[in-house]
Amino acid sequence: MSFIDILRAEYRLVYNDVFRRKSVLLTTIMYPYIFTAFTLFIGYSAGSPSVFTQKMGIEPALYMITASYMLMSILTSLDDLLWKPLFDTYTGTIIYILASPVNRFKLYAAIPFPRLTLLVLLGFTSLLPVYIYYFGLGGLLLSLLIMGVVALGCLIMIPFAIFVASSVHRVGESWRILNVVRPLIMIFLGVYYPRIYMPLGAYIISSLIPSSHIVEAAQRLLIGIQSGVYVLFAIAFTLAIIYIPISQFTLSSWERKKVKEGVRTS
Amino acid sequence: MENAVEARELVKTYKVKKKQGLFRSLQENVEALRGVSFKVKYGEIVGLLGPNGAGKTTTIKILSTLLLPDSGTALVAGYDVVREPDKVRRNIGLMLTIEKGFYGKLTGRENLEYFAALYGLTKQKAVERINYLVKLLELDKLGADSKLFEEFSLGMKARLSLARALLSDAPILLLDEPTLGLDPPSARRIRELVKELAHGERKAVLYTTHNMFEAEIVCDRIILINKGQIVAEGTPNELKERIPKLKILNILIRGGNDVKPMLETMGLKYDVKAEDNGILSVKIHLRKPEELLDDILKMLVRNEFEIISVKIEEPTLEDVFIYFSEGTK
Repeated sequence: MSFIDILRAEYRLVYNDVFRRKSVLLTTIMYPYIFTAFTLFIGYSAGSPSVFTQKMGIEPALYMITASYMLMSILTSLDDLLWKPLFDTYTGTIIYILASPVNRFKLYAAIPFPRLTLLVLLGFTSLLPVYIYYFGLGGLLLSLLIMGVVALGCLIMIPFAIFVASSVHRVGESWRILNVVRPLIMIFLGVYYPRIYMPLGAYIISSLIPSSHIVEAAQRLLIGIQSGVYVLFAIAFTLAIIYIPISQFTLSSWERKKVKEGVRTS
Repeated sequence: MENAVEARELVKTYKVKKKQGLFRSLQENVEALRGVSFKVKYGEIVGLLGPNGAGKTTTIKILSTLLLPDSGTALVAGYDVVREPDKVRRNIGLMLTIEKGFYGKLTGRENLEYFAALYGLTKQKAVERINYLVKLLELDKLGADSKLFEEFSLGMKARLSLARALLSDAPILLLDEPTLGLDPPSARRIRELVKELAHGERKAVLYTTHNMFEAEIVCDRIILINKGQIVAEGTPNELKERIPKLKILNILIRGGNDVKPMLETMGLKYDVKAEDNGILSVKIHLRKPEELLDDILKMLVRNEFEIISVKIEEPTLEDVFIYFSEGTK
C-alpha cells in the first residue's frame, strides 16, 4: 500500500473531525494570538520591551507571534503522535489498526501531516497580518519565507516525534509521562527561550532535536541574520535521517511489547 | 479439505499485578489458555463456546496477531501468527467489538474508507467494495452514508463492524460475539450473512457466542472451551448425544383413571401436572423414548385416556454448554 493512500486516509480522518468540531478549529486559529498575549502580558509585567528588543534584536510582539506559530506547528507532530495511540485506545480502533497489514512506519509518519498542513497554513491568519503591519509589503515575503521554513521544521520533526512517542508509549500509563515530556521538548525546541541563551547542558539536549536547528534558522532569518542558516538546515536534515532507523526500531519494539501484553479490546 | 486455521497446544498466561499496600504489588498468573488445539476448514463455521473467562477472546486475539502465545503454534491461512503476522493480517477479517472501534465524528462510509486504506485497498477498489458491502448489509437504507458513527444504533454499529471485517474480502473471518446485544432482525441478518459467506463463498469462520440458539443454528461445528482448555468438540447433534441427559416424552391426556400407578408399574421416572380443562401433562424421562412410546400410548388408550398431544423434547445445546462448562460429567 502506498504512502499516498495512507496520507489521503489520514487527511480525510483529521479534516472531517476538525471541521465537524468547530470549537477545535476556532481554538486552533486563536492559539497563536492567545499565547502571544499571554507571554507578552507576563513579559511586560516582569521586564521592559526595550531591553527585550535590545537583547533579541526584534520587537517582543513580533517575536512572540512567530514563536507561538512555530511552537504550535512544529510541536503538532509530537502531539499527534503522542495522543493518537491513546485516542485509538479510547475509541477502540487500535485493535483494528494493529490487526491491519498497514506499514506501521508509513502510518505513523502520515499521522501528523493533516494537522501540520492546517497549522502551517494558519500562518496566513497569524504571521501574515502582523508582519505586514510591521514590515509593510516586505512582510508578505518574510511571512511566506518563515512559513516555508516552519513547514520544513514540521517535516523534520516527524522521525524524532515517532521515536519519542513510541518510547513513551512503551511505558504503562504513558499519558502521565507525556505530560512531562511535552513541556520539556517545548522548552528545548528553543522557540520562546532561544538556544543561544541556554546553559550548555540544555543546549546539548536541544541540539539533539532536529527541529530546534530549524527554529534557530527561522529566528535568524527573522532578525535578518543569514549566516550559518544553511549549516543549521544541514544539521537538522542529518539528524532527521539518523532518527529514521531509530524510530523504526522503537516503533516495532513498542508494538512487540503491546502484542506480548495483549491489546485491550474493551 | 485444507485447514484455514490450525492451533496447536496454545498456552497463554497473563501476569496480573495486585496492589498490596502503597508500594508493594503482588504478581499473579492467570492461565488463559492451557494447551488449546483445533482446526477450522474453509467453508466451515466453527463456534467457540464457553463461559466468561474461558479463553475465547484470548484465542481470537492470538489468531488475529493481537497477542503472542507463551507456547504452541497457530497457523492462519498457512502462516504462523508469530513469525509471519503481516501475511496473517492479509488473510483475516476481524470483528472484535461492536460498540467501539470506529471514529465517532466520521460517517459509516468515511470510517470504512479509512480502514480500506489501512487494509491496502486502492481508492477505486475501496469504493467498489464499500458500495457492495453497504448494500449487502443494508447500511445504505439505514443512512450510514450520512450519519456519523456516534449517531448509530447498536444494530448499525454491528453491521458496520461486519462490513469492515469483509472489506478486504479475506478468506478467514474471526468474529467475536458478533450479535451481542442486537435486536432480533439485526442478529438474524448477521447470522444469515455469516452462513452465506461460509457456505456460499467458502470462507472459514471462527465464531464466538454465548447464545446457544445462535450457535446451534449458525455453526457447523462447536468447540466448547472452559478454563483455558477444550472440553468438547463436535457438531451440535454429536455434542448433545455425548451428555447423559434423558430426553423428555411430554404427553397431554384427558379423562381415564389414575395415571400414576400405571407409570409406576412400568418403572418410569415421571412428573404429572394438572393443566386447565382437566388436561394432565405427563412428562416421562427416558433415554430412548422412541423405543417405549408405543407401549406407553397403548397402555394409556387401554385405560381410557384421551391422548391430546405427544412430544419428545431433546436436550438443548444449553444443556450441553452447562454440562461441560461446569465439568459435571
